[in-house]
Amino acid sequence: MAAPVPSLLRQELERLAESDQRIDGRGRWDRREVQLEVDILYNAEGSAKVTWGDTVVYAGVKFELRTPWPDRPTQGSLMCGAELRPVAHRKYEPGPPSPQSIELGRVVDRGIRESGCIDMEALCIVPGEKVWGVMIDIHVLSDGGNIFDACGLAAIAALRTAVVPAERFDVGEDHVLAVKGTPVMASFQRVGGRFVYDPSEDEETGGEERIHITLGNEEHLHSLQKGLKGAFTPAEFAEILEVARTHCGELRELVSSMEGN
Amino acid sequence: MMGGYGDVKLLNDDGTRLDGRTVDEMRPVEIKAGILPAAQGSAWVKHGLNVAVVAVYGPMEAHPRKIQRQDRAVLDVRYNMAPFSTSDRIRPGFNRRSREISKVTAEALESVVLLERYPRSKIRVEIEILAAEAGTRCVGITAASVALADAGIPMRDMVVGIASGKIQDTVVLDLDKAEDNYGQADLPMGICPNTGELVFLQMDGDLSIEEYNLATEYNYKAAAEIHEIMVAALKERYDGGEA
Amino acid sequence: MSQGQNGAELRLVTPGSAIGPTSGRRVGTGALIQGDEIIATRVGHVRERHGTVSVDPVASCYMPRSGDLVIGTVIEARSNLWFLDINGPFQALLPMSLAPWKVEFGGTRDHADINDSLLMRVQEVDEVQNVVATMKGIGLRRLAEGAVLDIDVQHNDALRAEGAGLLKRLRDLSDCRLVLADNGRLWADGDAAGIDWLRSLLRAVAAAGRSDRFEAILDAHAANAPNQGDA
Repeated sequence: MAAPVPSLLRQELERLAESDQRIDGRGRWDRREVQLEVDILYNAEGSAKVTWGDTVVYAGVKFELRTPWPDRPTQGSLMCGAELRPVAHRKYEPGPPSPQSIELGRVVDRGIRESGCIDMEALCIVPGEKVWGVMIDIHVLSDGGNIFDACGLAAIAALRTAVVPAERFDVGEDHVLAVKGTPVMASFQRVGGRFVYDPSEDEETGGEERIHITLGNEEHLHSLQKGLKGAFTPAEFAEILEVARTHCGELRELVSSMEGN
Repeated sequence: MMGGYGDVKLLNDDGTRLDGRTVDEMRPVEIKAGILPAAQGSAWVKHGLNVAVVAVYGPMEAHPRKIQRQDRAVLDVRYNMAPFSTSDRIRPGFNRRSREISKVTAEALESVVLLERYPRSKIRVEIEILAAEAGTRCVGITAASVALADAGIPMRDMVVGIASGKIQDTVVLDLDKAEDNYGQADLPMGICPNTGELVFLQMDGDLSIEEYNLATEYNYKAAAEIHEIMVAALKERYDGGEA
Repeated sequence: MSQGQNGAELRLVTPGSAIGPTSGRRVGTGALIQGDEIIATRVGHVRERHGTVSVDPVASCYMPRSGDLVIGTVIEARSNLWFLDINGPFQALLPMSLAPWKVEFGGTRDHADINDSLLMRVQEVDEVQNVVATMKGIGLRRLAEGAVLDIDVQHNDALRAEGAGLLKRLRDLSDCRLVLADNGRLWADGDAAGIDWLRSLLRAVAAAGRSDRFEAILDAHAANAPNQGDA
């Protein structure tokens, strides 16, 4: 059964919106505090933990040797998946992957893949025979709202600190995975009639449609997703895109600050 | 000696182990309580290089209805290894191993939780292994106990998970990965630190009765140490913070 | 070791830890007798009063008892009854006959619709936790405005304790009308500033967990309260 959306919560979100306030005291375009830790898990070749407000997410990178697709004999592969397991919230039930978790994984996957930050050719070991498959798994442990941005950040941070375990597979020396950019996601939700950045759990419960934007280093768009019921105007999108540019830039710097140690 | 496993060198000439531990020394253990904001109760345990995180939800209505018990609650325990927790990636989803561990873990915890307080309901215990370095089922049990306590679920005791085993014909406490892979026996136990009772027991390999007794003695000694760390974590959560 | 409100030292215990010999004492909540020993069953602070030893838990979930004042959210409306989420393990049932309105069969949603919040009393809890609620009683009603805030149930005793007057201070400082229900919910109605202040206070209380900290946290937040008039 879907969680209830108390009418009083909706009423209050509307009332707050009228005076341009938010339920947790933030401004409309403010972000909650974000903490990033990298290289924290023993068996993952790259790992990251993101604590974003009440949301906690881990990402881990693994590598495998595989034969390339026949039509792309010199290219490796990338796969990114997310799991919304029942650990993350009372509302998640055990069972096969839900449509929400598949959407989450695919939106993060597209942002990373389409930014071209992973050079697929560089993952080739023997053309037509042996290439690296890079697998990013994202594990949501606590859903306190806006898991999309937390998952996107954890995934790219884990990738950017990953080491290719070539020695273990007997194909040369271990080396840092080459990652050329830092695609970062910014998510917005319509709450009380207008869009806000980084929705909290209450805002997601009482909100309407959401929009996810992934921007690369050159501020090019790499993935967009509109989710849930609702309609928005081009002018609204233009406004949130400007906000996304600022926040993606700040978060990109946070990821960079983790590297090289 | 089984299958020549005892032939792999796991002990140094001075009797210490490859990582420098003595035979009755456990790996370092760190515990934190209340680390997942969305959960009712939660715990994080790092034991050696193992990392387990547990969330507890409930009591809530037990469904499907066929799992309901009219006279008590049921524990709905899920032990799950994250895809990146092992050397080779694990495909997501349940497998036979995690199903068995979930079952015996639930039964261990059901032995201490005061289930009769909550007829027809279920309490969800979600064990997530984020990094595995031998002994994850024990780390999961320890973490689950702390998370249940953090959630305010009444229990007559907590449960500490700990294992001893045998390497190179020598009984040692708390096998690490190499010792687990090439050792001769593994004896994981779930020990109630206050009553001294056992609520979880498995074993595989080859142990003499004398070796079993020594391994058990090591496990009890370690359980007392781990219990102190569990209690300290709960005190840190509830007695430490600033107003 | 921390100090309680009355200055006595509070002893934090964990499940299974021995509190002391029975010596003729009874046990209350959060403790049980094992052999000759009193054992804690929860994380909490030991309290002894009139020969009864109990543990005030630092974390707790709501278990309905008859007579409780509760705030419920309507989950389902049938022709002659409602089902409500009351923050417990099971939903509560409110039959048409115990509603304060003249309800026509099939017309339940005209009076209380899905997602509405109702202030009710628990009429009855049977041995398998079926909960029947009633709205016959003074002040019981549909909550049409204001906000329902979460507050862990272990704080209720501290808030209601005579003498301390914490609930009155909350009322004065927030300048809100308040109803503290027994099921971990606090209804507040007033200006947005008052409700915001209450929400941030309760977030700090939830992070600390302990009920004996409530007053200290309130003191720390009092300076930011919207109404400083009679504080």
